[in-house]
Amino acid sequence: MYAPLLANRYLTSRIIPFIAVAAVALCVALVIIVVSVMTGFLDMVRNSGKTLIGDVVITRDITGIPYYADLIAEIEATPEAEAASALVETYGLLQMPYGTGDGGSRIETVQVWGIDSASLDRVADFHDKLYWKKPTDALAKQLKPDDPRLDPEYQREEEGKSLMTRDGEPGLVLGIEISPFNRRTQDGSYRTENPGGRQDPGYFMPNAGSARLTLVPVSGSGNIIGEKKAAFRIVNEFQSGVYQIDAQRVLAPLDVVQRLLMLDESELKSRTELDENGRPKTIGRSPARATTIVVKAKPGFTPEQLRDSVNAAYKRFVTRSLEDPARIVKPPSLVTVATWEERLADLIGPVEKERELMRTLFSIVYLVCAALVLAIFWAIVQEKTRDIGILRAIGASRTGILWIFLRYGLLIGVAGSLLGVGLAWGIVARINDIHDMLGTPAPTWVKIAAWIAVIASIAMTVRGVLRASALQTVLWTFASIGLVLVGVVLFLHRGFLIWDPSVYYFSRIPSEIDAITAATTVIGGIIFSVIGASIPAARAADTDPVQSLRYE
Amino acid sequence: MSTLLDAVHVKKTYRLGKVSVPVLRDASMEVRTGEWVAIVGSSGSGKSTLLHLLGGLDRADDDSGPIRFGGEDLRRFSARRENHYRNRDVGFVFQFYHLLPELSVLENAMLPALVGLSRLRWLSSRTALKDRASELLATCGLGHRLSHRPAELSGGERQRVAIARALINGPKVLLADEPTGNLDVKTGGGILDLLADRHAAGLTLVMVTHDAQVAARAQRRVRIEDGRVE
Repeated sequence: MYAPLLANRYLTSRIIPFIAVAAVALCVALVIIVVSVMTGFLDMVRNSGKTLIGDVVITRDITGIPYYADLIAEIEATPEAEAASALVETYGLLQMPYGTGDGGSRIETVQVWGIDSASLDRVADFHDKLYWKKPTDALAKQLKPDDPRLDPEYQREEEGKSLMTRDGEPGLVLGIEISPFNRRTQDGSYRTENPGGRQDPGYFMPNAGSARLTLVPVSGSGNIIGEKKAAFRIVNEFQSGVYQIDAQRVLAPLDVVQRLLMLDESELKSRTELDENGRPKTIGRSPARATTIVVKAKPGFTPEQLRDSVNAAYKRFVTRSLEDPARIVKPPSLVTVATWEERLADLIGPVEKERELMRTLFSIVYLVCAALVLAIFWAIVQEKTRDIGILRAIGASRTGILWIFLRYGLLIGVAGSLLGVGLAWGIVARINDIHDMLGTPAPTWVKIAAWIAVIASIAMTVRGVLRASALQTVLWTFASIGLVLVGVVLFLHRGFLIWDPSVYYFSRIPSEIDAITAATTVIGGIIFSVIGASIPAARAADTDPVQSLRYE
Repeated sequence: MSTLLDAVHVKKTYRLGKVSVPVLRDASMEVRTGEWVAIVGSSGSGKSTLLHLLGGLDRADDDSGPIRFGGEDLRRFSARRENHYRNRDVGFVFQFYHLLPELSVLENAMLPALVGLSRLRWLSSRTALKDRASELLATCGLGHRLSHRPAELSGGERQRVAIARALINGPKVLLADEPTGNLDVKTGGGILDLLADRHAAGLTLVMVTHDAQVAARAQRRVRIEDGRVE
């Protein structure tokens, strides 16, 4: 019964165990923070990738897949598929409705997706990604009074959903980061600001006028047929959360993009026969084509199961098309069918590897943890030699002495690990606030408070000198130097961005604790604390009571 | 009176690196039940070493004669029996008190009893043990100091706590190593009075001292010089 009493009392009545607890806590927090951010980043890559392209993607080059509506029906008839949607993917030039200052218009290189809004929403929650829409009542209460989404002028939800203006004209939905006048605020929402930095509906893209899209149709043999231009009203903007997508992608109605790329339904001309006017003879209709089909899995089915099912459906679709004499144009037998993970492998793979590398490298921290506990316990056992002698003199066994220090190590491991989890949780949960705080200049009151602390610290140093206390003088001198540095840094700090969305894909730092990492790190922290304590504990158990009690 | 503790031709040599230092060359003595024996001698004569051997804190040389407690040879004790011997059969009082600074007076006094208790037995006997320790401390004049830490006590008070700790398990013999050596004459006298009270109550006492006046309080004196009992 004496072992728990002494272990608890040693833990709570001295400073040195708190240093050990702090060391373990910092080690545990470090591992959890780093791996959680990496895991969160990986999850964000996965989730964002998945919501944009569904579970499985069928792709073909710019020649496209004909009769895609039949293919979609074939796929949706399988038990594994929830919904499918056709896309046309290409690159284009977008002439934005804002000037460069010399009277011209700025031209952006963009990735154009021709979409069917309703079916893409069923596959990839497209409507949820529209940014300018009426907020829910709950969200409206959380928004600041000047948030643009509270202004009816900004609420273009229906136009965004239909990709069409109120007048029935085709519209564009831009990625939220394309316009330089959309400024992301600290809470992650966007404001429309004019070049003077003021909230200004005049620079709100859906109000700003038309954008001109230039696409380049390509023939089946790979030759450029010519450029096609069309003017669109911007009807809304979308936010996927992936910076690269939000800064490059433009969504337009599928039929319009098909027409611009000459993938729409058209007359099919013979290459060998001529009509009575000497022109190539019309032999039928060439169907509209899509370059991509995105498919969503039904609940309970994995992307891999869906991929196999889609592969089989595509083969059936090709076989039926080949057997159908009415179908003059035959679908390609070779298309790429990939799960979203396979499609994003070049993005997910490196992040996964980086996370595992981080996990491995930071596992060394466990050894640091054990070494710190060992060093601290060695000092404690040294200091407690006399106590150990007394305990041996009153009948405590070697095992009992060993258990006191192992239990002591266990307590330090448990306390340090739990504290580390708390610390990590506090930092990870507020990591974006911390980042935003670093990204903006310190408020004046913080600077004043820092310099008051400097003055107080210098006064304490002088007090230590006057009292001839070396410890006080040294401690307060270090505190003064540290506070002066903090004060200077606060004075000079103008804000800096660590998490650059253009580098890290996402506009916000992942802020969720990875539960598995937290659990394994806590267990690791406890085990390595006990390992660190075991050698000094064994040394304590071997202590000769006579030697330890001989002298005061 | 029967023999409680006896040592026969005991030898003890300490090794300091390659140098052997014989401390006890041929020490024989006997302690009877209820006796108060003082071991006296000059500094370095081996009297503390003999006390440690009698208490099972240290082991004699391989070619040494036996040390017996109630006829049992201490050399034949298992580790478990040796721990039990130090915990139940003997009680130690040291010159420098050796109290645990993190524990209160009451906890220090209870410590030997806690060593022999499992958590389950502690739960069932906690109140009785606290009462016993409180009572013992009260008889030592420390009833008002139970929650104090050793650092808050005077030297005499600390030694009284050490005596209470040595007596908590009702040992058959109390081994005291210079119990007044770190105290002034008046305070030391108080400690000796306390020991005398316990002896009067039937406790066997073996006390090491170099002070003739302190030794005079014992019933019998055993002189040790140069590792030999004279």
